[in-house]
Amino acid sequence: MSTFDSKHAAHLHRHIHSHVPSDPALRVKALESLAVEKGLISSETIDAWVEAYSEHIGPMRGAKVVARAWVDPGFKTRLLADATEAIKEFGFEGNATGHLKAVENTDAQHNMVVCTLCSCYPFSILGMSPAWYKSAAYRARAVREPRTVLAEFGVNLPEEVAVRVWDSTAELRYLVVPQRPAGTDDWDEDRLSGIVTRNSMIGTDRVLKAGGA
Amino acid sequence: MDGIHDLGGKEGYGPVPVTEGDAPFAHDWEQRMWGLAREGICPSMTIDWFRHGLELMVPGDYLTFSYFQKWATNYLMLMVDAGQITLEELERGYVLEPADPARTKTVDQIVEQVRRACTDFSVPEETPAHFAVGDTVRTLRQINHNHTRLPAYARDCVGEVIAHHGSHLFPDEGAHDRHVGQHLYTVSFSAQELWGDDANPRDTVTLELWESYLVPA
Repeated sequence: MSTFDSKHAAHLHRHIHSHVPSDPALRVKALESLAVEKGLISSETIDAWVEAYSEHIGPMRGAKVVARAWVDPGFKTRLLADATEAIKEFGFEGNATGHLKAVENTDAQHNMVVCTLCSCYPFSILGMSPAWYKSAAYRARAVREPRTVLAEFGVNLPEEVAVRVWDSTAELRYLVVPQRPAGTDDWDEDRLSGIVTRNSMIGTDRVLKAGGA
Repeated sequence: MDGIHDLGGKEGYGPVPVTEGDAPFAHDWEQRMWGLAREGICPSMTIDWFRHGLELMVPGDYLTFSYFQKWATNYLMLMVDAGQITLEELERGYVLEPADPARTKTVDQIVEQVRRACTDFSVPEETPAHFAVGDTVRTLRQINHNHTRLPAYARDCVGEVIAHHGSHLFPDEGAHDRHVGQHLYTVSFSAQELWGDDANPRDTVTLELWESYLVPA
């Protein structure tokens, strides 16, 4: 049973810092060995988790949701009203999307998502987050200088387009709905989902490209 | 706590690793760490005790360790704290009395387990909400909870309530296994309020904030 005692936890962290080799591969190996020997998990189950998140749960899910919102106005209304319920139409609900909010980019507003205090992310619909999302640089700077950060991603936002940065401080998670690019009027949902980038659903990509998809 | 984790607005971290940090995982051990964590190997913890554990890491380690390196270190702490493993076992690297092996799950079972992990953090409202959409509120200047979700950069600032989510579990208490609800709001702050007059007047930052973080402005 966890103690929920801050001082005890800090003491244990200092002990681990001083007595356990810091090499991360070794630490994870030790953790896996101990967890397996304690009967908490099998190594094959870890393999299954790795495969689930590389093959089945990832940003392709979010892309399908965005594409449907582009072609189906009724779905878009449901998505913007209650994204947690709307993604159940795909069976994409789950870990970290129990309170999901979809926010739509417009000509006048760009949305961008961060978690400054840890690295909260809507796993069941976007998979594991990219390393940059978890970096100290992104967490520190996204709220303070979003336009400079966007420029590093190649997004040069005109002054007159407002930026709204959503800092995920509670259990709400965000999905940015990017704008549908011009020249895709006759595209079907499947083809459209192929041009929705992961970064556009986090808000560090804005103008999606219709060419080459 | 005013810890090293509270990074919002801090300067000196350099460029975002846009290209080199594009992939979610850089090493096999990171994927295995993710799998271990998703399987819930420390069942007695709460999400906020997990987050608080990360905040309590040795500060130098917090800043220099990669994300999954922090997780590995935190899980070692959490499992020792919970009495699941001892410091002796950790330093030895194996246990003296192994338990029966865990059952292996298939990928399909994992995908279904993720779907069923759609957790609802809302709780019944026991008190009327103090604020409504459109209200102007000020955040507290000081907050002395061990764990809190009011970042330093948004303290003693005036913003506008743009959404009310009913009551949600209050993390400051949840970090200590006390499951109480409090009204939760999305509050929008102008970039100029947070960062000064040089910020673009059109820009805003929103945060989810619990009622006890707020006073009428």
